[in-house]
Amino acid sequence: MQDLYNVYQNSYLFVFVFLLLGILLPIVALTAGKLLRPNKPTPAKQTTYESGIEPFHQSWVQFNVRYYMFGLLFVIFDVETVFLYPWAVAYDKLGIFALIEMLIFMIMLVIGLIYAWKKKVLTWI
Amino acid sequence: MSGELLAFFILSLIAIAGGVMMLNLTKVVHMVIALVFTFLAIAGLYVLLSAEFVAVVQVLIYSGAITIIMLFGIMLTRHDDRTEAKTGKGRQWLVLASVIAFFAIMFYGIRNLSLGEQATTLHVKNTEQIGMLLYSKFVIPFELVSIVLLVALVGAIILAKRDDKEKEGESQ
Repeated sequence: MQDLYNVYQNSYLFVFVFLLLGILLPIVALTAGKLLRPNKPTPAKQTTYESGIEPFHQSWVQFNVRYYMFGLLFVIFDVETVFLYPWAVAYDKLGIFALIEMLIFMIMLVIGLIYAWKKKVLTWI
Repeated sequence: MSGELLAFFILSLIAIAGGVMMLNLTKVVHMVIALVFTFLAIAGLYVLLSAEFVAVVQVLIYSGAITIIMLFGIMLTRHDDRTEAKTGKGRQWLVLASVIAFFAIMFYGIRNLSLGEQATTLHVKNTEQIGMLLYSKFVIPFELVSIVLLVALVGAIILAKRDDKEKEGESQ
């Protein structure tokens, strides 16, 4: 069992290497770019690109409350997906009863979705 | 073993630093980013504890969904707000005293705590083990979770939609 544990831990070395590569790649690319490119800033160059229009206001604006509704729905269905995953992995060993359990779970959330639909949360005005 | 210890030290350092930065940064959006670092470091700690599934869930739900909800919440309110002025000295000492008291009580409480025998096979088919237990032994809590989610969904809709209805009422 100790062997397996070592295998488990050592396989996370790959994850670590990928993480390191993912962090290093943009750092190296941006630093190398900064060293190589000529640096002649003018005020016109330093403005934010806005499809040719003069930029105005801040980029941090107050969101519409509708986006928040979609965010809430996303969180709830994200949690649902998390429960689906171990169910799918262990499904072979669980049999038909697990299917019924999951159907009850899904029906509960579909009721919520229908409620949201009826309350016109999903429509965009 | 030393590699595990090193990973634990780095991850716990990131987690604690993220928490401290969240308290000390002044802009709310920066605080959320500090919080994301804490969430990711805790996911790494779960991996160290052989709880792979919980680690992935931590990344998906906490650093994904919860952070988005927090950002939306911030963007809906005064997002460019800064931390209010510091409180008085007396209150700071009071907070320090209560933190020390909390630490002392917790340390006394968990010093002789025994968690029983350590599970050694957690890393073998982690997700499948969770699935087997969740859908056979813990079915009732699982079905209760669906009801909790339904209540959360309905409650969120009622709370966030109320604004529109009031506007409709005003226009009528």
